[in-house]
Amino acid sequence: MFKELDPILHSQLRLAVMSLLISVKQADFIFIKEKTNATAGNLSVQVQKLKEAGYIDVIKEFKDNYPNTTCKITKKGIQAFEDYVKVLQEYLQVKQP
Amino acid sequence: MAEEKQLTEKESLQLIQQMINKAKGSYHDTGIGPILWGSVITFCSLATFAEIQFNFELPFDVWLLSLVAIIPQVFISIREGRMRKVLKYEDVALGYIWTCFGISIFLLININASIIAHLDPIFTDYNKLKGPHEITFDYNSYSTSLFLLLYGMPSILTGALTKFKPMLYGGILCWVCCIISVYANIKTDLLLMAFSATAMWLIPGIILRRRYLNKLECSKN
Repeated sequence: MFKELDPILHSQLRLAVMSLLISVKQADFIFIKEKTNATAGNLSVQVQKLKEAGYIDVIKEFKDNYPNTTCKITKKGIQAFEDYVKVLQEYLQVKQP
Repeated sequence: MAEEKQLTEKESLQLIQQMINKAKGSYHDTGIGPILWGSVITFCSLATFAEIQFNFELPFDVWLLSLVAIIPQVFISIREGRMRKVLKYEDVALGYIWTCFGISIFLLININASIIAHLDPIFTDYNKLKGPHEITFDYNSYSTSLFLLLYGMPSILTGALTKFKPMLYGGILCWVCCIISVYANIKTDLLLMAFSATAMWLIPGIILRRRYLNKLECSKN
């Protein structure tokens, strides 16, 4: 019996954001936007969903008098990401001949 | 990128891999720090070499420039920190490595000063007693080897962590110079130090700077 894939992570943009954040300590909103090629509005909504799930921390501050948003993966987020990859691997192992 | 596109398992894994690779490829150093320290250490070593070789003394200790260079370095670090859009785990590790290096250099300077202060009167007395059989031992020559030993370590680690070969090879070259300096006189030691600083900081710094400026140019176009 397969575990269900985490619906929060099983969406293109949210998974892209989490995959970026798992490999770095923290990243600015602009960096994530550049790497995912997402629009600011779209990304903003998905970042908020990840924050509400407790998968990422969002720090809003001023940098050189300009607002700056920094995102950082949480322990819960790391665990969720690892579980997601494990389930994915289980699916793929069964599908392979 | 569509916000709610449902992915197949294979697509998900591909996306994870792609994003991790994108994050990995985002390292860029402006190169100013390595250029600054490469220039300062090369200049100080060559100036000290010239003092010994041509038998003159500068009105101040030229190595004080390395202390003065800390001021622009602080500003460079703050500015680069502000400009940085992403903080990678390697960046954190590198920060610790270079901080430890700076503290180690400061400690070594103090240890050397203390050793020289203790050794000098002993050798003066010994030379008085022994007469014509003067001791040729010069601790300064060995202290250069100790500095080269320390200089090489963070450079090799930086080169290895960032996969930046010029700095890695420069650091290895510095350790080769360290071994040679143990058996060489002070003048050769100073030339080895200038060579090491150029090879492991100045040249890699120029390469990093050119790469950084090229990247900036590309992102503008």
